[in-house]
Amino acid sequence: MSLKRITTLDELHNYLHAAMQLEHATIPPYLTALYSIQPGTNSAAFHVLRVVVVEEMLHLTLAANILNAVGGAPDLAREGFVPLYPAYLPDGETDFEVGLQRFSREAVETFLRIERPARSSEESQRLVRRQRVDRGLLPTFRAEDDSDLHFYSIGEFYQEIGRGLAYLQEEKAKSGETLFSGDPARQITPDYYYSGGGEIIPVSNLETAQEAIRLISEQGEGFGKRIYDYEGELSHYYRFQQLVLGRYYRKGDAPDHPSGGPVDVDWDAVYPVKTNACLADYPQPSELHAAAVEFNARYKDFLGRLTQAFSGRPELLLDAVGDMFRIRETASQLMRNPIPGTSGLNAAPTFEMPLPTET
Amino acid sequence: MHADQAEFQDFLSLSSVVTGFTAFQLQGTGQAESYFSTLIDILGEATVAALLQVFRRVQRETGEDAAALDRLLRAAIFSDEKLGPIARNLIKLWYVGTWYPLPAAWREAFGELEKDTTFVVSPAAYTEGLLWPAIGANPAGAKGPGYGTWSAPPRIPEV
Repeated sequence: MSLKRITTLDELHNYLHAAMQLEHATIPPYLTALYSIQPGTNSAAFHVLRVVVVEEMLHLTLAANILNAVGGAPDLAREGFVPLYPAYLPDGETDFEVGLQRFSREAVETFLRIERPARSSEESQRLVRRQRVDRGLLPTFRAEDDSDLHFYSIGEFYQEIGRGLAYLQEEKAKSGETLFSGDPARQITPDYYYSGGGEIIPVSNLETAQEAIRLISEQGEGFGKRIYDYEGELSHYYRFQQLVLGRYYRKGDAPDHPSGGPVDVDWDAVYPVKTNACLADYPQPSELHAAAVEFNARYKDFLGRLTQAFSGRPELLLDAVGDMFRIRETASQLMRNPIPGTSGLNAAPTFEMPLPTET
Repeated sequence: MHADQAEFQDFLSLSSVVTGFTAFQLQGTGQAESYFSTLIDILGEATVAALLQVFRRVQRETGEDAAALDRLLRAAIFSDEKLGPIARNLIKLWYVGTWYPLPAAWREAFGELEKDTTFVVSPAAYTEGLLWPAIGANPAGAKGPGYGTWSAPPRIPEV
């Protein structure tokens, strides 16, 4: 799929679907690193990863709220919603790999790049012409001359959504209508979403939509070159940086210079899970293979449950939380099991979603 | 990873036979290596090696015959004055994550062991105990949490 400049409601829907897909796509990589940490160890790293992954869930839910507010229909169970890993994200002139890997220095480097993408300095650089990688997480942008361009980074993608929302609302207002005609009953509100990485914002107009976008794009990288976001919380980028620099940030610290207590990281207290493991890596038939297949099927069911929750049944989020704990249990079970025939590599969930015909 | 991979594999096979859970399930608890080293720590390498040696012989003699394996295990290990109590302790270890002292008769016959006292192997050992999947329940507060999940019927796993 490629996107165009947002001038129609359909195109806005396409962007918001892509946003949900993008926000979700960071979750399996974060979970893989999180659950690869051996229980009882690495409490600093565990908590940083946990905070970040929960906030990505908030971003996903916020994107669903915006889509519902403008009359769209979230669908997390459709084919292609979960990418094949490794996938790629744009970082200015290049792309970088986002894969499923154990907690490690390399994994944290990738997370730093996810959370603070390069920013284009000028408006004219928001879109760049360069080689396209397969498995890019952001759709390409179809220019007026029909050539494919690329968003400079995630920030530019959200900027276009913000611009498109304002533009379409202005157009609707000319004829006395509103862009935000979605059923309010489809909004996820604090009644069913709480303790989940920040306040959920029900979206009902341009202001709340822009607020939601701001939260999504600033929770990661901080607010205007400071280490705290506009809610006063340490941003994801600087949370991860503490693990690499081995020191906590304190209020008043300058970026890149944490002055708090030491952060203990035991890079070895980690299950040696195979990077970007896929079902084909597991012998067949085996209990390991069956468990990995089962994990993927349950994960797809879970995405189906979220789709229902985002389609007017927000109370289902309570059951979905129970699903998440079971997902954790099954993921841990896989990660503790060696892959036969490898020298010391363990299995991991593969997040390869079964095709509709197989379910 | 434990140094002696072959002994560890034998330990896993023995554990699987005496607990009724598969090696995949046992490894999935994340406790296998810690129980193996607990056993060695308490009993010493020679005694653990002797246990595994008898188990290997029983396996070799019975092959795929499950009924014969059951019979020979009872005769060669569970009825053995020295190995029987150890094997029973191993089952308890897997099910509740706790090492219980060997029986008084064992200690009289084979000597007191310094570390043969009651202890929980680790905090994770409690929540990963096989008793929970065996009865289709979750360790309270440690697994399967989430608001309201207690009102759902228990999910009995396949054992």
